[in-house]
Amino acid sequence: MLMLSYLMATGITTGAFYALVALGIVIVYKSTEVVNLAHGELFMVGGMLAYTCYVMAGIPYIPSLVLAVAGAFVVGILTERIAYRPVLQHGLASVLVATIGVSFILKGIGRHIWGGKGDYLAFPPIVSPEPIEFGNIMIMSQQLVVLLAAMSVMAGLALFFKCTRAGKWMQATASNPKAAMLCGLRIDRIYMYTFAVGAAAAGAAGVLMAPLTHLYPDVGFVLFIKGLAAAVLGGLTSIPGAVLGGLLLGVIEQLAAGYVHSSVQDVVPFLIIMLALSLLPTGLLGARGLRKV
Amino acid sequence: MSILSVDGVSIAFGGVRALDNVTASFGAGEIVGIIGPNGAGKTTLLNVICGLNRPDSGDIRFADRPIGGMKPNRIAGMGLARTFQRSQLFAGMSVLENMMTGLHLRSRANLFAAALCTGRMREEESELAARAREALDYVGFAGFADRPGNALSFGQRRIVEIARTLISDPKIVLLDEPAVGLSLNRVAELDQLLRRIRDEKGVTLVMIEHVIRLVMGVSDRVVVLNCGQKIAEGRPEEIRKDPAVIEAYLGKLIDAGRAAS
Amino acid sequence: MSLQALAGNRSFLSLLFGALLVLPAFANEYWLFVGNLMLVYIILALGLNILVGFAGQLAFANAAIYGIGAYGTALLQVHQGWSFWAAAPVGAVLAMVIGTLLAFPALRLSGIFLALATLAFAQATQWVLWHWESVTFGAGGFRVPAPNFGWLPVKGDYGVYFLSLAAALVLLLFAWRITRSRIGRAFVAMRDGEIAAQALGIDLLTYKAMAFALSSFYAGIAGALYSGLLGFVSPEGFDLFQMIIQKAMIVVGGLGSVVGSVIGASLLVYLMEILREFKSTQEIVFGCLLVCFMIFQPHGLVVSMKRWLPGWEEPLHLVGRVAADASTRSGSYKGATPTERRAVERA
Repeated sequence: MLMLSYLMATGITTGAFYALVALGIVIVYKSTEVVNLAHGELFMVGGMLAYTCYVMAGIPYIPSLVLAVAGAFVVGILTERIAYRPVLQHGLASVLVATIGVSFILKGIGRHIWGGKGDYLAFPPIVSPEPIEFGNIMIMSQQLVVLLAAMSVMAGLALFFKCTRAGKWMQATASNPKAAMLCGLRIDRIYMYTFAVGAAAAGAAGVLMAPLTHLYPDVGFVLFIKGLAAAVLGGLTSIPGAVLGGLLLGVIEQLAAGYVHSSVQDVVPFLIIMLALSLLPTGLLGARGLRKV
Repeated sequence: MSILSVDGVSIAFGGVRALDNVTASFGAGEIVGIIGPNGAGKTTLLNVICGLNRPDSGDIRFADRPIGGMKPNRIAGMGLARTFQRSQLFAGMSVLENMMTGLHLRSRANLFAAALCTGRMREEESELAARAREALDYVGFAGFADRPGNALSFGQRRIVEIARTLISDPKIVLLDEPAVGLSLNRVAELDQLLRRIRDEKGVTLVMIEHVIRLVMGVSDRVVVLNCGQKIAEGRPEEIRKDPAVIEAYLGKLIDAGRAAS
Repeated sequence: MSLQALAGNRSFLSLLFGALLVLPAFANEYWLFVGNLMLVYIILALGLNILVGFAGQLAFANAAIYGIGAYGTALLQVHQGWSFWAAAPVGAVLAMVIGTLLAFPALRLSGIFLALATLAFAQATQWVLWHWESVTFGAGGFRVPAPNFGWLPVKGDYGVYFLSLAAALVLLLFAWRITRSRIGRAFVAMRDGEIAAQALGIDLLTYKAMAFALSSFYAGIAGALYSGLLGFVSPEGFDLFQMIIQKAMIVVGGLGSVVGSVIGASLLVYLMEILREFKSTQEIVFGCLLVCFMIFQPHGLVVSMKRWLPGWEEPLHLVGRVAADASTRSGSYKGATPTERRAVERA
């Protein structure tokens, strides 16, 4: 019983990150019908920038966090201007390939600046590493802090979309770009900021997760697949779906690792993607679409 | 004498009844127009007939065989061809190759014959090319053979697509708004072409169209759909005067009076 | 006129393969290896282009299938003691069978969804290669005995080289003919207008399966040759980066062009060797290559070749809208940005 609760707690904590990464993917997809394959690298960029600011430059944690997220935001804008806008006219497949190109550029730059293969950067813990006890369950306070932070970010995004004008513009453009244009919205700009917001979400996840895991240039892809699995599970067009998918993925992973074998953990996201796309292509909460002939 | 019949066909998408108990039959060698306001279910009817959607209920028979639920490529193999509202000319091929693709089911080279480039395959290819040129010539587009599929104007594409449906000698061709985007001259030419096809080839043409002049002028019979139901059927002159049809397009006369007063 | 006709794709191919034929006479061990690698990648690119370029199936599993071909061949030799000549065809067929199974999800999924599903499959395969240590020897890989050329008067290295050259030539010929046949037309029809293709009688399952089978067979053969060439097999050679390299090859060369595959493969292998020392630079360069081509030359180098070399006879199977289309689209909507134009088209 103790093990189960521990696994669930860990699952929910890591699930929150997957949810955050997945949120970024869904935000961009809903708007532009494109999955930004460089999304994982934005996670890495966030983490690496935070490392640079906090560990290497000695800037205090909160400003480092802000700087890192801002950095990811900027990279998101660059991605849109380089890999989306000029390529869109040639079709979505071309955009996909272009985003792969961007992901490799980012990965290469990351490797160049922050270390080669096998170099793992350790991010120091932010709070004391002592575990807190909730009845029978033990959680690292680090995990708890970070979980709360992730949840606030998600709540912040939800508020952003519901309550601010910019958020509503993004929703409008995602739902019907032609009508949005007719209402005078500059959808070019909106797409750009959509990419940027998605990127910032990934960057935030990268910063928040940094104390809990090692940072290395290839971490982006690993997290991307997990975020993708969460997004696909929840439905690529559903924001609550991304959160649900993330939490589910985190829990399933932990349960698999605990009850089956620790190495099975890695293959869970792939299996989920394959199964979800084959059996439930619109995910648990996604909307069904019809093709017009 | 009917070669295609739909009987009580219904289909719903989500909560919307796109077709509601539609019954109609199409005879050999006639031109039948299908008209109706937007959203009446005309394209859906064609989609259901050619196999792209499976009807929720009802029967469809083609050449005396039930075809409801069959895959579209099998139905095509039985002699049913179709054009679409959005141009489906293959952009990555020349016009000639587009036409040769129309003969896909009438050619037999399989993967091994293709890889080994057997003599028989080469013969077949030149035969296909010859028939393709012939078919292009029939619609007067012989000079376009080597143009890329996407280097034609919209109206030209429609004509080539019609030619592509004819090349396999189908028994029946479904046309989805063939005249859309055509100028008046071109519409007149299309009118001529459709008559030629009916008279010279004996092919049944089922045509969705909004250009009333064309539909009423060339059709032998007209079927009218509204909100997924068939509301009228008959010769063009009858349809023109049918009160149900007028109401569907223009609304009840009484509404206009009330609005004015 | 005849001199102009010489500057065409056939002559290009003849030149290239002629050079590759005589390479062993001049090259040292290293360049022989590079030449051989080029041949392997030519085979890979040919197959992948059939699937992605001609048939329009955006699949990301090719590197994994390549790996299955290599591992299949190598494991049969190591575990079962088979000779290379028996193991290679079986390895290739195994790759083909597994690759063909991917046609089933391809029926229901398209575009980004197919890309993601095949990507997940590739990663899952990678996981199996890493963790099924009892069979695959895990992350470290294992050595494979060199193919035995027995009674033939060739030294090991040269044997594999000429075998690869022969295989590449034959597979090139097949690809050339298949894409110019009824099958090739069915592929392009499927890519450019799936609905109309069905209405013309093309059975999507059959042709998607065929496209997957062909590309997987090519990848399987390439895998078998690669294991013979390297004498060593490990999961690293078949990962995502590998997949991206292959994608880059057909993109740079020209999606939907047989000669394009050859061009792209040769160029990029050369580029990779130059950048061999610097993995991070490799990544950046490949990334930039992909992005630049997608922006400026999405149809690949073949388009430029066609423009400059008058004898270049290339059927029009290239992917996407070529310049001629621009005037016939919603061109009345001038002054719009690409995103705005697309929003209008989408509605």
